Amino acid sequence: MKKKWILLLLVLVMVAVLLPGCSKQGAGTSGKGCTVTFGAAVSLTGKYAKEGEYVNNGYNLYVEEINKKGGIKVGGKTCKVALKVYDDESKAERSAQLVEKLITEDKVQFLLGPYGSGNTYATTAIAEKYQVPMVEANGAATKIFNRGFKYSFAVLTPAPYYLRGIIDLALDQDPNLKTVAIVAENGAFALEVAGGARDYAKEKGLEVVYFDKYAKNAKDVSSLITAIKGKNPDILLGAGHLQDTLLIVKQSKDLNLSPKVMGFSVGPTAPEFRKALGKDADYVFGAAQWTPELKIKSDDVFGTPQNFAKLYKAKYGEMPPYQAAESAAALIAYQKAIEAAGSLDRKKVRDALANLDYMSFYGRLKFNEKGMNVYKPMAVMQNYTDGKLYTVWPKEAATKPPLYPFKPWDQR
Amino acid sequence: MNYEIGQGVVNALLLTGTLTLVAIGFSIVWGILNIINIAHGAFIMLGAYVTYWLFTLYGVDPFLSIPISMALMFILGYVIQRYLINLVIRAPLLVTFLLTFALEIVIINLATVFWKGDFRSVTTSYSGAGFAIGHVQVPYVRLAAFVISLLITGLLHVFMTYTRQGNAIRATGMDVDAARLQGVKIAHTYALTFALGAALAGAAGSLISVSFPISPTMGGEYTLRAFVICVLGGLGSIPGVLAGALVFAFIEVFSGVYAPGLKEAIALFVMVLVLIVRPSGIAGKAFYH
Repeated sequence: MKKKWILLLLVLVMVAVLLPGCSKQGAGTSGKGCTVTFGAAVSLTGKYAKEGEYVNNGYNLYVEEINKKGGIKVGGKTCKVALKVYDDESKAERSAQLVEKLITEDKVQFLLGPYGSGNTYATTAIAEKYQVPMVEANGAATKIFNRGFKYSFAVLTPAPYYLRGIIDLALDQDPNLKTVAIVAENGAFALEVAGGARDYAKEKGLEVVYFDKYAKNAKDVSSLITAIKGKNPDILLGAGHLQDTLLIVKQSKDLNLSPKVMGFSVGPTAPEFRKALGKDADYVFGAAQWTPELKIKSDDVFGTPQNFAKLYKAKYGEMPPYQAAESAAALIAYQKAIEAAGSLDRKKVRDALANLDYMSFYGRLKFNEKGMNVYKPMAVMQNYTDGKLYTVWPKEAATKPPLYPFKPWDQR
Repeated sequence: MNYEIGQGVVNALLLTGTLTLVAIGFSIVWGILNIINIAHGAFIMLGAYVTYWLFTLYGVDPFLSIPISMALMFILGYVIQRYLINLVIRAPLLVTFLLTFALEIVIINLATVFWKGDFRSVTTSYSGAGFAIGHVQVPYVRLAAFVISLLITGLLHVFMTYTRQGNAIRATGMDVDAARLQGVKIAHTYALTFALGAALAGAAGSLISVSFPISPTMGGEYTLRAFVICVLGGLGSIPGVLAGALVFAFIEVFSGVYAPGLKEAIALFVMVLVLIVRPSGIAGKAFYH
């Protein structure tokens, strides 16, 4: 019974996602042209449904824009781009299963990543097994890349770097801050983020007064908040994803936990954060892989972060979260590698990816020998009291000064 | 350190209310019908979604939607028992066990199809507000959930003890054949009991949706909690459920403060301990007295 429903759901999702793609593909193959097909398993339901939606939007926006320009140049021809997306229900094993299906049954040429480090960890192993390149944009854990894989590349900055910006910003605002509490979701990505933050905080002379993890599907963290409040930290850093971040902020208010700085790895930069919390989103910092306010000029299909934001807003009705931008950037990495290789041969494209060094609207796309992009810095955004998100760090990209300190809950 | 204990005690007491409501419907159905209702958590989930949709679409206050979700779940529970479970009620325990297991899967998957797997939450204008006793915070929403839970539990106790229908339910639980001889309509009484259990689950769901995020798969952990509470407290009595919920809430909260990673493990470990040392549960055994 369960399988039946899942199947029905999958068919529905497939129809919904592929209907626009199918007609284009038909038109492409009938003439002299060709089609490059990318495949991905993305979380459209389950815990990472919201983040997965942003990923899917990013992929689709790129496909739409590049096809408006004719497609990707391969040698002398211009190929249309097609996309095949399945819903992995936020489960790693399902994600791996679907990626295998994309390779063996749907015969896609190249793979894109799912959302989240856990799912990416599972799917990159499948890609490696079949020697199909996977450029992923949403798995930041370094453990994905410590297995000596040759076909996996990540366009985003690795997990241990996530919270550094927030720590720098906090100490820049007030060098007298002494203590920090760090909590992490019990998962690959979050634990690396938290570990990186702990090491960096110590390096900067802060005392880590609380460091612990909570269950992956936690629905109640009030005990954790109680323990943290007992330590009375100056800074609270959370490593996790959107749902945990919402929960922590909500229950911090319940229990009146008001540190001077509150920052998270994932969540505060997503439009959903403000929608779910309303005024309670104010003052919260979020790490960002990318912001629409960065000053970058590129010759890719989007040109600038501002133009990407404009196109995204026109299509989806809200400002783009960084998950959408990095997902689109994964396709740009492919485009540049395919153009350099002059071929759709998987091995040649892989080699071109390994040698890629390109400035996109998203930032520098270059991979180290493990396949990680360690060449792009992180930014910090803050939910301002006027209901908008602003880039507040690094200073040279900031559009507003940070609001400091965090206004205690009982004074709002 | 003192703050943590003070806040922990308040958190645990407030949680006891909600957990009592979560477990009591499960306990009645188990005690009277001898059915371990695996779908109990799915009923809680449906109750939570009733509140969520009424709040989101029509702006109905989550606390006012409790009677509505109870009524809807009562009807659903009655129909399911009368026309589905009743067919196999005399079969061995395993059959009804499997049937409710299947029911749970169907309900959860239907919910996933219609409402997607997203986590949602009911955020009212007053959520997050509260008062403080010294440093200890008491959120209004949780306090209200606590009071309402105990109120409903009290009403249930009155119903079971002082009304004809309640006595009929208890009599059926004690001896089906004797009850039948006294003129109790068994099929109707069974359906009524199951419906009551579902309605209580609905109320629990409504209250949960105010403080915690909800999703179609949220129910499983509540079924598990209800099960542990029933075992801890001893099957069948309302005071037993209260005692079980109290113990469980304290274990959960304090293991959450001092060892968040081991929260679930510790709760289940205590259940195993109780089963070994006092198999009849903390408050002793028996039916509804």
